[in-house]
Amino acid sequence: MTERKYKADDYKSDFRPTWCPGCGNFAQWRAIRAALAELEIPPENVVLASGIGCSSHMPNFLNVYGMQTVHGRGIPVATGVRLANPKLTVLVYGGDGDIYGIGGNHFLHACRRNVDIITIVSNNFIYGLTTGQASPTSPVGTLTKTTPRGSIENPLNPVSLAISAGATFVARGFSGDAKHLQYIFKEAIQHRGFAFVDVFSPCITFNKNQTFDFFRARIYKIEETEHDKEDFHAALDLANQRFVRDHLPIGIFYQIENKTTYEERDFALNQGYIPAHEELGLSDEQIEIITKEFY
Amino acid sequence: MNQDISVRFVGSAGDGLVSLGWLFAKIIKKHNLNLVGFRSYQSVIRGGYNEYQLRFSDEKVYSVGEEADIIVLLNKQVASLHLPRVNENAKIVYDQDYVDLDELGYPSDIIEKLPIPMKELAKQVSKLSVIKNIVVFGALGHILGLDTELIKEVLEEQFGYKGKELVEVNFKALDLGIEFAKNNNWEKVSKKLKFEKGKQMVITGNEALALGLLTGGLKYYSGYPMTPATSIIHFLTRYLPKLGIIVKQTEDEIAAAGMAVGASYCGARAATGTSGGGFALMTEIVGMASIQEVPLVIINSMRAGPSTGMATKTEQADLFQAYGASQGDFPKIIIAPNDIEDAFNVGIESLELAEKYQMVVIVLMDLYLSEGIATVRKLNLKYKTKRYGILDKVDDDYLRYKITESGISPRTLPGTPKGMHFTGSSERNEKGFSIASTLAGLPETLPIRNAMVEKRARKLKQVAKEIPEPIFEGDKDADITLVSWGSTLNIVREARINLEEEGIKANHLHIKYILPFQKEKVKEILENAKEVLIIEQNFSGQMQRYICMQTAFDIKHHLRRYDGELIVPSQIVEKVKEIVKND
Ligand SMILES: Cc1ncc(C[n+]2csc(CCOP(=O)(O)OP(=O)(O)O)c2C)c(N)n1
Ligand code: SF4
Repeated sequence: MTERKYKADDYKSDFRPTWCPGCGNFAQWRAIRAALAELEIPPENVVLASGIGCSSHMPNFLNVYGMQTVHGRGIPVATGVRLANPKLTVLVYGGDGDIYGIGGNHFLHACRRNVDIITIVSNNFIYGLTTGQASPTSPVGTLTKTTPRGSIENPLNPVSLAISAGATFVARGFSGDAKHLQYIFKEAIQHRGFAFVDVFSPCITFNKNQTFDFFRARIYKIEETEHDKEDFHAALDLANQRFVRDHLPIGIFYQIENKTTYEERDFALNQGYIPAHEELGLSDEQIEIITKEFY
Repeated sequence: MNQDISVRFVGSAGDGLVSLGWLFAKIIKKHNLNLVGFRSYQSVIRGGYNEYQLRFSDEKVYSVGEEADIIVLLNKQVASLHLPRVNENAKIVYDQDYVDLDELGYPSDIIEKLPIPMKELAKQVSKLSVIKNIVVFGALGHILGLDTELIKEVLEEQFGYKGKELVEVNFKALDLGIEFAKNNNWEKVSKKLKFEKGKQMVITGNEALALGLLTGGLKYYSGYPMTPATSIIHFLTRYLPKLGIIVKQTEDEIAAAGMAVGASYCGARAATGTSGGGFALMTEIVGMASIQEVPLVIINSMRAGPSTGMATKTEQADLFQAYGASQGDFPKIIIAPNDIEDAFNVGIESLELAEKYQMVVIVLMDLYLSEGIATVRKLNLKYKTKRYGILDKVDDDYLRYKITESGISPRTLPGTPKGMHFTGSSERNEKGFSIASTLAGLPETLPIRNAMVEKRARKLKQVAKEIPEPIFEGDKDADITLVSWGSTLNIVREARINLEEEGIKANHLHIKYILPFQKEKVKEILENAKEVLIIEQNFSGQMQRYICMQTAFDIKHHLRRYDGELIVPSQIVEKVKEIVKND
């Protein structure tokens, strides 16, 4: 085997993670780095944008162009990055509150827009950083500081939502299986178009329900079944099976490669322009074209 | 006062008033005259009462004026609504087949009635109802003494792409209008304007701003439709494939601002535009980009508020919204362009300042400036901008947020080897790492926090050194100093000139840079003034209070308008006379 160009540690920053020891985010931190190394993507060509939350601290701990935005806004910022420079590998990372709650609108539109970015959601079914409140994925009855009598709202099914909204790669991982996560992240990064990965990622401090043991007892791998990931209806059926109960599939639910991406449709990008690199100002020809209507 | 002529078209939204005004402006422009135009309208797609007033001269024109020399009534409903606005000596052009001025109570003794069966005449040459406007242009051309050949040149330029036939129809309609006016002995206007074939542009404020942004290197623009900012995205989208830029309609204004930050972070000069409601949504991103030190230009074209307010009416009431946008204590730049030509300059300037200082620049336009039209002669579209503060190679000691004397730190763009760093919305150290979580409050991080706050603040001091002094015009020893800001510069200028003609000496201080604020200079001017009158398009005197906050100078007199319509020079003249008389 030839020597790899990059090691997983090349993507590690000098800042040690500040998560509680045992937090599910560690496994994702390792898996992201391992996937990037495996794909030999130079660290300088990676942008990872997060929102706010425990999970959103991620870019601090990575040696890439890391950006922490404000709560819920990783997706629009990453979209701007990617459209300005489509040569970059662009990831979004955040929590279930961040991306399904306050950033929900962006998530929906990112799915249909099909810009080639990868969105990873560390789904711990709770608000971690703000010390344990209900999240959009908390099941009915969940006891949290804001739902002391049990949550009365129905939870969101993000995988089903993403498939319906037009995402072209939809997967789910589990922080208890870093190798499998690495495989999913690698596939997501290689995917052409919007890739979305929901990760079951226990918050060991504030969530006593969706724990590592809870998931271990219920998950199974989609790759080990007959599931056809290119079949939209089969993918939706799989996603809509009774959620957060007995059997929880992880792996790739849905992936299609034949849909054009936003970049391929954009009238500037599909001519090969890279907005971030183009010369500034107007050429004489451009001046003539755009001012004609004023004469 | 120099010789100028005002024409007012009055119609409903369905009368095609926008294109009519635009076409008339082009005809005037072709005669090398200067022109200012503004449409007063409502937020309805059809119906309603709209006025398009255009004023032109062979000398500089400052405002759309108040009284109209010629009023064109395009339908019966608006003719009746227009009655209170009619002024003495106006020539009223109307279609007598549909409108009876006497029945509507128009004062026959002080106006001149010019009936013309515009619809009937138009029918002779075309089934298209808008052709009646061309008939009117013919008749107007006759009384204004315009050059028929030049008018035809404009019609050819405007409709040529639709085929020869349509051009011919337009020519015939024009000739019919001219013939009719001649045969009915329509008297020419007494004011004589010098004209020749001209080559200047006629343009709206938003378009001038957009051209300025492009000249200043714009590569990314995002927005969510909101009057009166929407025409910026319309214009940019039109030429997008030829410009190689990204223009993006987003799901909301938060995304618009967020995407612009992402693009700018990669080195694409980026801007986003909206009105107050959308700007409110962008607010959190203002603070984010400011602490991240990512350049960002935000255009807020103000309209009458609060909330949805009056979507099609003008106001200057978002000053404190811009000033206070986003939590925390950090510097930002706020510029309110003076007029349409200046909007172009600010387009360039805002992108350059944003990149040079890695700051947020808020451009405060308003509906009058965004949608008003004017002829312009000197837009420097060939201007070559340059890049500021971006490293293409990195030394081992690179620190993205290095504490420097100027406050500006070196910056690398994604894709630059060894330039990787963390850009956060949290407070950070020189490397960029957060000092807000586990390091927060540690003795070693306290000075870092202070150093970062101070570093960011120093940038504004630098900006202050490079911006020009405020505009100050007129006699130093005047009886009164007029103060204005943003889009009303020329309206107040006209008032000052009118006052001088009446023997009242006034001077004029105009504020364009709200942040940084040239407080020493402003204070000096105000303290040397005999009387001060501030003129603003808002209820509570936002600039007046802002000046007081910055200089401790409390301006005594004010003129405020907040009904949604433009302040007019005569209001200012009247107010000044009141003040000076009482002295
Ligand atoms: C506009 C705004 N509202 C609220 C907050 C407070 N806040 C910070 S993180 C967070 C939720 C975190 O939950 P999640 O996104 O699921 O991430 P986790 O901490 O669980 O990883 C909230 C509400 C904020 N920072 N900004
Ligand atoms: S609070 Fe929960 S989510 Fe946050 S770091 Fe600790 S374990 Fe992880």
